[in-house]
Amino acid sequence: MDELEAIKVTFFQECEELLADLEGGLLAMQDGNDDGDTVNAVFRAVHSIKGGAGAFGLEPLVRFAHVFETLLDALRSNEIPGTADLTAVLLRASDVLADHVSAARGLGMVDMDASAAMAAELKAWTDPSAAPIAAAAAPAEAEPEFEGFTPIVIGADDGMDDDDDLGFDFQPMTISLDAQAADVAVLDNVWTVSIRPKSDLYRKANETGLLLRELARLGPIQATLDDSALPTLEFLDAEAAYVTWSVRLETEQGEEAIREVFEFVDGDCELEITRGAAPVADVLASLMDVALPEPATPVEAPIAVAPVAEAPPPAPVAVSAPVPATPPVAANAPAAAPAAKPAQIEVPGPGQSVIRVDPERIDRLIDLVGELVINQAMLAQRVGEYGIAPSSNLAMGLDELEQLTREIQDSVMAIRAQPVKSVFQRMPRLVREVANMTGKQARLVMDGENTEVDKTVIERLADPITHMLRNAIDHGLESPEERKAAGKNPEGVVRLAALHRSGRIVIEVQDDGKGINRERVLSIAVKKGLISPDLTLTDEEIDNLIFLPGFSTADKISDVSGRGVGMDVVKRSVQALGGRISIASRPGLGSTFTLSLPLTLAVLDGMVVDVAGETLVIPLACIVESLRPKAEEIRPLGPTGSVLAVRDSFVPLIDVGLTLNYRDRSPPPTEGVVLLVEGEDGSRAALVADAIHGQRQVVIKSLEQNYQQVEGVAAATILGDGRVALILDVDAVINLRRRGPPPPADPTLIAAE
Amino acid sequence: MTRTVLTVDDSRTMRDMLRMALSGAGFNVVEAVDGEHGLEVLSAHRPDVIITDINMPKLDGFGFIEAVRVDDDYRAIPILVLTTESDPGKKQRAREAGATGWIVKPFNPEKLVEAIRRVAA
Repeated sequence: MDELEAIKVTFFQECEELLADLEGGLLAMQDGNDDGDTVNAVFRAVHSIKGGAGAFGLEPLVRFAHVFETLLDALRSNEIPGTADLTAVLLRASDVLADHVSAARGLGMVDMDASAAMAAELKAWTDPSAAPIAAAAAPAEAEPEFEGFTPIVIGADDGMDDDDDLGFDFQPMTISLDAQAADVAVLDNVWTVSIRPKSDLYRKANETGLLLRELARLGPIQATLDDSALPTLEFLDAEAAYVTWSVRLETEQGEEAIREVFEFVDGDCELEITRGAAPVADVLASLMDVALPEPATPVEAPIAVAPVAEAPPPAPVAVSAPVPATPPVAANAPAAAPAAKPAQIEVPGPGQSVIRVDPERIDRLIDLVGELVINQAMLAQRVGEYGIAPSSNLAMGLDELEQLTREIQDSVMAIRAQPVKSVFQRMPRLVREVANMTGKQARLVMDGENTEVDKTVIERLADPITHMLRNAIDHGLESPEERKAAGKNPEGVVRLAALHRSGRIVIEVQDDGKGINRERVLSIAVKKGLISPDLTLTDEEIDNLIFLPGFSTADKISDVSGRGVGMDVVKRSVQALGGRISIASRPGLGSTFTLSLPLTLAVLDGMVVDVAGETLVIPLACIVESLRPKAEEIRPLGPTGSVLAVRDSFVPLIDVGLTLNYRDRSPPPTEGVVLLVEGEDGSRAALVADAIHGQRQVVIKSLEQNYQQVEGVAAATILGDGRVALILDVDAVINLRRRGPPPPADPTLIAAE
Repeated sequence: MTRTVLTVDDSRTMRDMLRMALSGAGFNVVEAVDGEHGLEVLSAHRPDVIITDINMPKLDGFGFIEAVRVDDDYRAIPILVLTTESDPGKKQRAREAGATGWIVKPFNPEKLVEAIRRVAA
């Protein structure tokens, strides 16, 4: 059932939102904002998760949500007081609930022991007989933790059983049934049902006509109306109920089925069901006796009123009359007032239509727009080749086309844009867990959750952010004792922020911890042979050593950060997204990791250059300026290297052709063009190319997917003339150079191009 | 004539479930996300039947039913509430507010349509 599957997807999406609401509400409660609205919202979140889970038969989730909900219900009705301890328990319970949701989704497993312990702990809060603290301390013993909860059963008829406990004033009247049945064994499929509605039945918009229709579904009926209690018109109360129906029903179904017809009007009408054996001819007479509550006044029905009384469903008549107790004007007011408030944007109502689109269709559209960009570039190039004047109509039309193409591209990308919230909202839990595990006290502050970025980027943001946060707490923050000794608040603050900056999304993870221990980093790097001991590095360069492959500080692998993943992996995964990561640290004050990513993975603004006969694209974002070097600005450095004097500083000169092994020997830099580029860490380099072709927007084609990863190359693209060009990975090129002679390049790649 | 059902529930999942079941049975479905919104949609679409949840933000199911029942234009509209087995007290409160009938969650499409048939002309 595809539609059901789709709803299940929706359910899990909704669960994510509800879990975020839950956590947000609980955090607000933790901060002291435990007003009724917050508690109600928290309750509803769990309640809705339970409801949806029930619909899909996700039993473990339903069970845990039920226990959770019960406690929240007690809290919101002030049966138990809200305390900081309770909020802390609720927060942990929300984490377990999130695990259940993930497990129901097929992602991961729930630690059932932990879940049972949590459920027992929750129950202990509502159960006054159990001391909460004792129960919390010994959770394992509460094995039958879900007692008292009956799994939800499908089927409306089960609802009837409840009614028996509700104190309805209706009492089944089946006393004479056996005797009658015995008398008339032949006709035991004939029943007599007498219905005497009360005015409440109509007030709740039930109708006797519909009840008769339902009875008729069980078998042939003969209905008789007794309107003898009907007063004359002048005494008639339009809202009151006067008539009694007697129905002769022939059915093979039992009394239960008949009674079920009256499930909704239970208590709102006097009902009598008897196994009626009377011959058809006698039915009317016998009905009079059985059904009439006041048979003392049989009398003749007034003819004048007959039309009203005959209308089988009297409800409409009653309903259209005004209700004296509630003036209509007053009733309309509260209904109209809230109407002015617009519905929340996140919850599009039926008025605002939402289209669900298969993401593949959007991907296809994005692909096509990419082709359009290429095609438009190709057209522009051809027109340029024919030497058509820029002021000509053709060239101007082409300019407009280019603008339109850009706009289409932006619009299409906007379809896929989503707030980073979906990733951010997973982080408070992570911070709690990591802080718990490392014995640190950490508070997460988030900023810019609504910053939008391409969906494909969002999906791949989670890992780097997770790792940076772990790192910030594990390695950045000090222990509470150390912090106190340093005169800081024992609770460390980790700030996670997202913002847009010059066409990229920037994610910052900032801690107020001790900062990077540069001496230690340097000694580790030297010890591990990552750098030569005699190298003099700036503070920033030392900080950036932690991104070197193999740096991962093996001597303090903890549960948290040391999962075999060093910051180098983070850096590589970020670079794979066309992103950059950098670090700024101040001893004693903390560190800031800054991650910057393109808003989309689909297009890139680049500079097209020629190197040793190959066409390369250098991402425009990296380029500071381009210049033609003069001979006197170039100074040799070491046996092979040279530097370029740019204003007051010297920048290493890197021949791209040599680095990528396009050629063995560099031509004099003065013959080429130099592009001054800035790497992720702020380090600069002067890349030497043979010629510049100009700026282009290029569509990124993954090299990894179509070929394999190549060091120094970020991706590939197709140029306007149909040629394939490689997009340079500037940081990698700088690093390749820094680390010494380039490794042998893969000659097949160059040939394959 | 196609009958229109108004579903009022703050859970998108539940609204989708109801929509699937009701559309499949040939009903026209309009939706609202809470009681307040329900009252707005009510005046715009004049549904034949209303199905409402109880726990909702802004205006809950009880308040919504009461508001419908005191409005002369709408008080004859049958209202079914979504309840769970575990809370008979809520069902009773909903009836007191003027609910016509109820649907026990989780429901199956047959039960849902049957409940509507029982209350709708």
